[in-house]
Amino acid sequence: MNGVTVEARATAAGPVRDLPTTPKRPRRRPGQWKRLGWVLFFLLPSAIPLFVFTLIPMVSSLWVSLHQWNLISPMKWVGFGNYANLLGDEMTRRVFLHTLIYVVGYLPLVYVGGLLLALALNQKLKGRSFLRATYFLPVVTSWVVVALVWKWLLNPTNGLVNQVLGAIGLPEPGWWTDPQWALPAVMLSSAWKDLGFVMVILLAGLQAIPGELHEAAMVDGSSPWQRFWRVTLPLLSPSTFFVVVISLINGFQVFDQVYVMTAGGPAGSSQVVVGQIYDLTFRYGRAGEASALSWILFAVILLITVVQIRGQRRWVHYA
Amino acid sequence: MRDTRSLPARLALYAAVLVGAAIMLFPFLWTVITSITPEGSLADGPKLVVDDPTLNAYRTLLDAIPMWRIMLNSLGIAIASTVLQLVTGAMAAYGFARLQFPLKNVVFGFYLATLMVPLQVLVVPLFIEMKTLNLQDTYFALLAPTIASAFGVFLLRQAVTAVPLELDEAATIDGAGHLRIFTTIVLPLIRPALATVAVFAFMGSWNSFLWPLVVIRSPEFMTLPLGLSTLQGQFTTQWDVVMAGSVVSIVPIAVVYLLAQRHIIAGVAHTGIK
Amino acid sequence: MALLKFAVAGVAAALALTACGQGSATKEAAAPEGKSVVRYMNFSSNDGHEKDLTAIVNAFQTANPNITVQVETVPYADYFTKLQTSVAGGNAADAFELNYENFVTYAKNGSLAELKDVDGSVYKKSLYDAFNADGKQYGVPESFSNVVLFYNKALFKKAGVAEPTAEWTWKDEQAAAAKLTDKGAKVWGDYQPVSYNEFYKVLAQNGGEFLNADRTEATFNSPEGVEAAKFLIDKVGKSMPTEADGAGTPDFDSKLFKSGKLAMWHTGIWMFSAMADAPFEWDVVVEPGNTKKASAMFVNGLVVSAASKNAEAAQKWITFLASSDETTKTRLASSWELPPVADEAKLAPYLEQPKPANREAVFAALEETVLPPVIERQQEMQDLVTQELTSAAAGRKPVEKALADAQTKVNGLLKK
Repeated sequence: MNGVTVEARATAAGPVRDLPTTPKRPRRRPGQWKRLGWVLFFLLPSAIPLFVFTLIPMVSSLWVSLHQWNLISPMKWVGFGNYANLLGDEMTRRVFLHTLIYVVGYLPLVYVGGLLLALALNQKLKGRSFLRATYFLPVVTSWVVVALVWKWLLNPTNGLVNQVLGAIGLPEPGWWTDPQWALPAVMLSSAWKDLGFVMVILLAGLQAIPGELHEAAMVDGSSPWQRFWRVTLPLLSPSTFFVVVISLINGFQVFDQVYVMTAGGPAGSSQVVVGQIYDLTFRYGRAGEASALSWILFAVILLITVVQIRGQRRWVHYA
Repeated sequence: MRDTRSLPARLALYAAVLVGAAIMLFPFLWTVITSITPEGSLADGPKLVVDDPTLNAYRTLLDAIPMWRIMLNSLGIAIASTVLQLVTGAMAAYGFARLQFPLKNVVFGFYLATLMVPLQVLVVPLFIEMKTLNLQDTYFALLAPTIASAFGVFLLRQAVTAVPLELDEAATIDGAGHLRIFTTIVLPLIRPALATVAVFAFMGSWNSFLWPLVVIRSPEFMTLPLGLSTLQGQFTTQWDVVMAGSVVSIVPIAVVYLLAQRHIIAGVAHTGIK
Repeated sequence: MALLKFAVAGVAAALALTACGQGSATKEAAAPEGKSVVRYMNFSSNDGHEKDLTAIVNAFQTANPNITVQVETVPYADYFTKLQTSVAGGNAADAFELNYENFVTYAKNGSLAELKDVDGSVYKKSLYDAFNADGKQYGVPESFSNVVLFYNKALFKKAGVAEPTAEWTWKDEQAAAAKLTDKGAKVWGDYQPVSYNEFYKVLAQNGGEFLNADRTEATFNSPEGVEAAKFLIDKVGKSMPTEADGAGTPDFDSKLFKSGKLAMWHTGIWMFSAMADAPFEWDVVVEPGNTKKASAMFVNGLVVSAASKNAEAAQKWITFLASSDETTKTRLASSWELPPVADEAKLAPYLEQPKPANREAVFAALEETVLPPVIERQQEMQDLVTQELTSAAAGRKPVEKALADAQTKVNGLLKK
């Protein structure tokens, strides 16, 4: 497989190198049907399964959200009653606030950490492959294990973290046993686990930056710091854009780590939106409200994503 | 990239990266250690030295669940889902990055929208749909929700967009159509992104729990996370066995990652573009 | 084009998988003429009793050659997620297991088939009646277990404290727990989780009522309730480990007791087998009460799905599983909870087993039991009562306020 692609690459890159800045040739305008044919050819293989196995269930859940339903007896029409109840419920505001706090704390941690890691492991280091694999290991480790380890590390009385904090004279928080600190504990462990994810995406992005650009910048006599800001970061922006959009979409749907670390506690202080959706559906027999809540969540995520896509022109540089 | 850093800076970087790696490795090591500790328990906190290491937990694991069958199921589904996601994702990525059509952004929006409703609320409608199609309790049902993923489409679209348009145009002059541009120019150049998607697609399918739990009822279709969940009893859990199962489930993804990593590194740095 | 070839091979493999998947989906429908297949879903055989259940199934199939039982075992933690989804999809197993707490919800929502012509006399009456809703019998009791006080004899001896007796009250327990706790040696006197399950029980031990007689209003915020809650909460950090000490993490309490660092432990008889090889002498006794005795009892029942097309065969199977001699024997031999049979002579083999010596306590506890208070929105009620109690235990709320808040919220659930 390697040989073939290298060849393909050579033929692809070959003519381009000598290509002068060609004036854009007006493309042949094939018949509209033919163009549509190509669009369908490339899109249908993904569009059909996404439509059948995700969009249809999404529309069904929209229908469910207009009913009172405990899954085991027939649905009862309530119109927008579920939405009205949820929007008036203090619980809804609380779970959204917790989710927002989580996302705001988690995203910078995981992005900056992942970026530093990607930059460090993009250097020529001995054992680089091994190190990259090591940093990726937490991504594939199950949350059950990670949660137990972090609960031990963040144990308020004899955890490693508090022992270190105490030794350098900093206050020792109660972490997952304290309503004030339960969310930060979850944030910290999530960021730690997802560092490898961000690293892999950004590494792939760094690899795509042609070395010539760095060399050109070095010839100009710019410092490594300047090169980072002027070359690396702008050229990494498509990857950054991807990481930010996906991390926000996933971050707003944070669930597993909360479920295994705090189960929403203590006293509901770390209950997040999807945690509430899970409880409502499968534990409390209130699937209608759960669906309505997830559509409110959908609206929030959609809004944030649209804003990002609109705003990308200002800072995302495509080749 | 040539390295211009001084020796102390390099050593500092090394030290930082190694300390970080140790922290990253720690939970996995703990998992391994607990799995070889007789009556190992996570309640005690980690021990780094095991008094009487034993592989009993792994033997119990093989007795408790039909491990080979389960592994084969999980592996089959994960490989099929990875391949399908790569094919459907790369094609869609090309479509979005290179073809012009009306409402393109809206269509892409619909793709992204599929990521925005939590699985927890889709599971019940999807199950009812599968039941209506009489597909529940089949391999296909396990595979269905992962044939295509908007995550993969998005990541690959970003990669295709980064491929210089001039390459396509040159090929067009040579008389290449979309299919040839896609297979001979775009695909080879987005290999790092393909490898990345492969890792996440494999992992997503391999770790998937809620959907298999709901849609599968025959033991012969059981996947690894379902099998491992049966190790936890209502009142007690044999943690050494659970951790042994955890080790067994981590190893294949680690292998997939190592295989993919070569492609992520072997990027396009030397293609001489631009 | 290796990449493309690989892809094509992958798609072909996926299609092949699909094909064989469908093959076996059609297989199940094809039961031979005159034979019926009963799908039975359960949680209680998971992780340890799968073989015992198979033995019972085989005995049943030998006695009823026309019926095949297809067992689906799901771990307890995921059981209700799966059960609800399958009921929602109209695909529930013909017969399934329900614990008493969840029975009411399913019975009230029309998911269960009424059982016809059941011989109720073979079961302990209180257990049988528990599966009656609105005058209709929707299930039979399958098994039960109860909670007793486990104690470490060696620790009592070392601290020079007299061992617990059936006459003990809360005061005796508190006094002993204080003497037995040795924080320096990390030895704790007592362990009783602060939760709904413990609270309704200590409430009953103190003469309080959780709900009014017609279950329309919560009544636990009473002087008895406050005193009961304080009894539980006062232990935390004094004679009982706190969350920060590890309490509440999986298997924390069983490891603590087994490692000889816990003197008294309120837990169920399901722990007998796990503690059998503990390296010290231990025994059990009926839990202490305050103004009266009340031991927690948990019952699992067997029901038939309202949607089942094989209701008759399904009922045959659950009756066999609940009350046949084969089941009784298997359960007693493997310490798999207790069979609900009326004839106590059949339970004799249970008492003959070694460790703990005082197995009579299990039956003595049955004389004064308390079943969990049950409402239609059970899980929500349990969660919020536990949440309020833990808030009080962590010192974030006075006990009185926590109980008052919990009562208001439970009343809210009852009205909806």
